[in-house]
Parts: sequence; structure tokens; C-alpha cells
Amino acid sequence: MSIDHLWVEKYRPKSISEILGNKEAKTAFIDWLINKKRRKKAVLLYGPAGVGKTALINAAANEFGYSIIEMNASDTRTKNSINKIGKPATSYAALDKFTSHSTKGNVLFLDEVDGVFGQQDRGGIPAIIKIVNESLVPVMMAANDPDLKKIRPLKKVCKVIRFQQIRLPIIITLLQRICLNENITAEFEALERIAINSRGDVRSAINDLQSIARIGKVITLQDTLFLTIRTKDISMFDTLRGVFSAKSHKDAATILNYSNVNFDDFLLSFSDNLPRRYSNSEDLATAYDILSKADVVRGRVGTENWSLLKYFFNFLAEAATVSPDSFKPFEFIYPPLRIMKLFWTKSQRTILDSISLKIGKKVHVSKKTAKEDVLPFIKIMLKKKKTESIFTYLEFEPSEIDYIKKMNKY
Amino acid sequence: MNKDELMWVEKYRPKKLNEIVGLRHIVESVQAFLKNPKTMPHLLLAGIPGTGKTTMALCIARELFGDNWKTFTLELNASDERGINTVRDRIKGFSRYSRASFGNVPFAIIILDESDQMTRPAQTALRRIMETSSRTSRFILICNYSNKIIEPIQSRCAIFRFSKLNKTAMVDHIKNIAEKEKLQVSSEVAEKIIDYSNGDLRYAINALQTAAAYGEGEITEKTVLQVVGEASPKQVQLMLTRALSGNFSEARKMMYDLIGQYGFSGSEIVRQVQRELMKVSYLTDSQKAELTNIIGEYDYRLTQGANSDIQLSALLAQFSKFKK
Repeated sequence: MSIDHLWVEKYRPKSISEILGNKEAKTAFIDWLINKKRRKKAVLLYGPAGVGKTALINAAANEFGYSIIEMNASDTRTKNSINKIGKPATSYAALDKFTSHSTKGNVLFLDEVDGVFGQQDRGGIPAIIKIVNESLVPVMMAANDPDLKKIRPLKKVCKVIRFQQIRLPIIITLLQRICLNENITAEFEALERIAINSRGDVRSAINDLQSIARIGKVITLQDTLFLTIRTKDISMFDTLRGVFSAKSHKDAATILNYSNVNFDDFLLSFSDNLPRRYSNSEDLATAYDILSKADVVRGRVGTENWSLLKYFFNFLAEAATVSPDSFKPFEFIYPPLRIMKLFWTKSQRTILDSISLKIGKKVHVSKKTAKEDVLPFIKIMLKKKKTESIFTYLEFEPSEIDYIKKMNKY
Repeated sequence: MNKDELMWVEKYRPKKLNEIVGLRHIVESVQAFLKNPKTMPHLLLAGIPGTGKTTMALCIARELFGDNWKTFTLELNASDERGINTVRDRIKGFSRYSRASFGNVPFAIIILDESDQMTRPAQTALRRIMETSSRTSRFILICNYSNKIIEPIQSRCAIFRFSKLNKTAMVDHIKNIAEKEKLQVSSEVAEKIIDYSNGDLRYAINALQTAAAYGEGEITEKTVLQVVGEASPKQVQLMLTRALSGNFSEARKMMYDLIGQYGFSGSEIVRQVQRELMKVSYLTDSQKAELTNIIGEYDYRLTQGANSDIQLSALLAQFSKFKK
């Protein structure tokens, strides 16, 4: 298959104007590039995959007459190799101008900088920073995740520009244009589904369209059903969003199958977010009842009966789609409340444990009974102050007495 | 004053078998064993809380060993130390050591309180130990539900069932204590205390002592109500009322407080919810029965499931739907 047969290449934007969406990011980038007195010598474009970061840099270089010297994740990027390519590329801006009239000079483009890895690419990030500081030409970088610890130092020497997912209508319009050009008739719903499925990633949407178009010149919704969300990394939020907004039990189950979030965390988050998903108390009670069954299955799965996990997913999918039509977007709660709560209250439980144990030893009961049946009385006695000696008798530390005094009643 | 006597439950805990309230027939059989200690089997004492099981076990130890009883007794609460390691380390170590020198009692006593809380592996480990160490040790196992004790252990024990204490005997006991503490407690008030404590004498005595800290000399019904009200699990009550009025989110928040701040387990919370449900005045009996059925279902799932907070949330969601 020649390059042109790959639609992602065929329809790759050739000029800045062809790049879809992200207007503000585009403007910010162009402003930076044409400003000779730019404050920062480097720019870092970040955002999800397939939204046009690399395309913009290529198109802009093309339009403004720069030659690009590129290093991406397929190149080794240790200190040495970066210096070997980056140094010469960034040191001779002026010289180049004399040799060629068609180019304004070089730009260094480091793609996928979040893929500069620790051990294999040792010293890579500091080397990049040094090159940026000494560079005579613009340095451009692109990354997906700007919050990674290792690339944080980069943000200090860069102008940081954020790219967002491409909005649905824009992707759908593009798909329609491609269909027209390729002589394909497609149902709107089919294109919509491809677009939804791409989650704002234009490249994957075009790839999916092409793979479906292979079936025939007419694309129906039916043809798109085999599409699955790409498994690369469906985050907790995406899984929650996907599952809760699913239109059917089957859709929800598919998402769960392809997600690789930790499903114990997911179970807890699911529980936390249910009240936000269902405002109707009937629906909520039904959903929780199903969720409770899912939890029972989780108990049976334990650490060995993994084959039962499908029933677990099945129940989750069912709980998520009690009333698919009532879905309204909401803000997700994550991390799980339980983990937060238990973390913040651990010291309290430790001191309560110690108090209960002391009581238990004296009156021959378990910690649990002491806490439930005896401690409440002791708290009241403490309030009445008539019985100080009891506390010496129970061998409470002053801090423990303080704790009981402040303790809320349960 | 003896230091042990600051908590009235301890101060008035019977020291001798014949001081024990209202358990005539059990006391008599145990006394028969003690006439010739060598004939005493392992004992399993089963029954609801506060009916004298622990007291009985401590009395037996005292009768056998006199004031030195602590030296010859290992007292463990299986609810606190329930794993197999406790059995293998502490119990096994203690049980093997021969203490033949004490009079005509050729063994030491191991009291395992709340032994129905022991894990199954721990019970299985215990079973061998009971056999191999019978020359040097006797076990007194105490539990609420004897069916949670594995059969091989049950078959090695003489089983005594403790039923709810006779009400008049309890009332008398409370009045007796009040008299010794120079408190005025009328029969009606003593009865009220017993009513509130649901046949649990320990609870009743604690309530009495707390009421004494409140009142001056005389304890009235009002004081008792106040004490019991303050000592009852407010947070659980609140959670229950929030849920029943349809405010699920608030109820769930309180559930996490119970788990987080007080470290209650799921089944403990369910038990308290059940207890508090009975006190809710605006529900009819049939509504309470219906809600109890719901509790029962989730209590069961709790034992099967992986996350107690999910089962509790589900329970609260059903309650929130119920609405009065």
C-alpha cells in the first residue's frame, strides 16, 4: 500500500489553516514563532494524541520556510545523542541563511518528550534544557502528559501551549468531507459513532473510517459496531464516563472489558459516583442493589476464581445502565471516598483502639464490645467529672482522655 | 479502696460460683466438676451478651486456684486476637507448659472469650491443641453462637447454654448494688434500667454507674433515660433517620464517619442499625419487619462480598427509597 493509500497521510494537513480545532493554541503558537523577540526560546505543545500537535509544527515550518530537524521517541535520546544532533542544529542559524535563500534556517523539533526515559535516555532532559538555553534557533517540543515529574523542569524554559480534544462536530465534518472525496455514502449515525469512539483523536477517527470503508462504498451504523475503544490507556475518568453514559448494557460491558483500570478502585469509585448518576431514588436503589451483587461476585472471585470476573463486569454494566436515558454529565468523584476517609482518620482509629483495648482488659470484654457498649458510658462519666479516679484506674494517657472528651458521639 | 473496684461491673462481678445471679442449674453442674477437678472437661459456654459467661469462667479459675488464679489462667479475647498465629504461638505455648505443682489441680485454664470470632483455620489449629494438651490444660470457650464453633471442637466440650437472665433476679441485683453504693433506686427505676439493657446485665450496671455520676443520691427515671439516650449510638440513629427521610448522600457520609473515625466494621454497623430501627417511633411494626428483611439480605451479602461499604451503601439506598 503506498503512502497515499493511508488516509491519515493523504489527509494530513499541509497548511496551518487545514488544521482542525484548537484555535487559541494555534494562534499562540504562530505568535510565538513569528515573534523575533520571543521571550522563551522553546515551546512545548501538549495534549492528547491525534489532535494536531505534530501536524501544526510541520505545517508551520512548511509555511514559514524553516527546515525541521526532528528527534522523536524512536531515536535514542541520551545526553550524548541529543548533543550530537541538537548542538549543530541550534548553533548555526545565521550561517544557514547565507547558504540557502529558500529557508529561514533550522528549527529543532523534539517530539514525544514525555517519552525520554530514565535509564535508556539518561541525562536527556538536562541536555535538552542546556540546548534550549544556548540555542540560536527556535526549539519545539510536543508531549502528551505535561505533568510527568521528569519533564516538569522543561516547562520552566518553555512557552507551554495546551491542546484539547477535537470536538465531535469538527471530526464529523472532516469525516463527511473525506467520504465525499472518496465517493463513499455514510449514515450520519455511523460517522457520529466513529467520532465518539475516537474520543477527540482525529487520527484514530480517520483510521477507523478507512478500515470500515474497506467493507464497501456504503457505511451504515451496523458496520461501526465492531469498533472498540482503543485499549492503550482508558483512564479511571474515561472508564467512569464511558460506563455511566453508555446507552446500553452491552456498550457499558464493552468499555469495562477494554478498560484496564484497577477494578477494586473502580468498584469503589462506581459506588461513590452512583448518587450523582441517578437522581431518582428508585433508580439509585435498583442500581445499588445490582452493585451489591457485583460486590458479592467480587468476593467470590477472591484471588483465584478469575473466570468469574465476567459476571462481575456484567453486574457493573447493568448497574450503570438502569436508566440510560436519564444520563446527564456530572463531575466524577475520584479517588474513592473510602480511601480518603481511612487515610485521614487513621490516627484517630489508632488512639480509639488503644482506649478500647485498655477498657477491654479491665472489664474482660473485647475491644469491640468496649468501644460499643462501655466507652459511651465512660464518656458521659468523664463529662460529669465526678470520677477522675476511674481514668487512672483504666490507665488512660492524658492524650487519650482528651480524645474521649472531644469525641463525637456515634 | 481496691483498685479493681472502680468500675462497678468489676466491683460487683461475682467472685464465687454461688454468688452468680440466676443460673442455678449451670452453677450446680460446674460445682460437681470442681469437686474432683481432674474430671473437669473442656467447657463451652454459649449465650447472649451480659448473661454471666465470662463471670462464670473467671469464677471457675478463682475456685480452682484461689488468689493466684491469674498465674494459672490465660485469658484471651478471640475477637481481638482471632488469627491462627495467636493459637499457634500464645495458646500452644501456654497449654504445653505443665503446672502440676498446684495442689490437686493438674492443669492450667485457658479462657477464650468470643471464640466464635475465631477464624476457621484458627479453630482447626485449636482442635489438635485441645487434644494433645489435655493433660496440662483445660479450655473454657465462650461464645454467643455455638454454631459458629466447628463441630470437632463442640464434641470435645461440655456445652452450657446461657439464656436471658430472669428479670426479677436482675432487678434485685441492680437494687442490691444501689444499696451498697448508697443510692436510692426504686423498683420501677431498676426495672427501667433492665428494660433498656435488653437482658444484658453488664450494660445495666454500666448504665447505673453512669446515672450515679449524674444524679445526687437518688436516681430517677429521667436520669436513666438521659444516660441511655446519651450512650446510645447517635451517629447510627442519625444515619438511619437521614436514610429513611430520603437523604441518601448525607446518610452515606455518616456511614463513612462510622467506618473512618470509629473503625466499625460493616457487620457491627448493620447490627446497630437493626437495634436502632426498633426504636424508631414513626414506623409501624410491619414497616419495621419489611426493613428488617432488607437488612437481613444485605447482612448476608456482607458476609459474601468484598467491600462492606458497598453493601452498606446499598442498604442505605434501599432505606432512602422506602420513605415514610
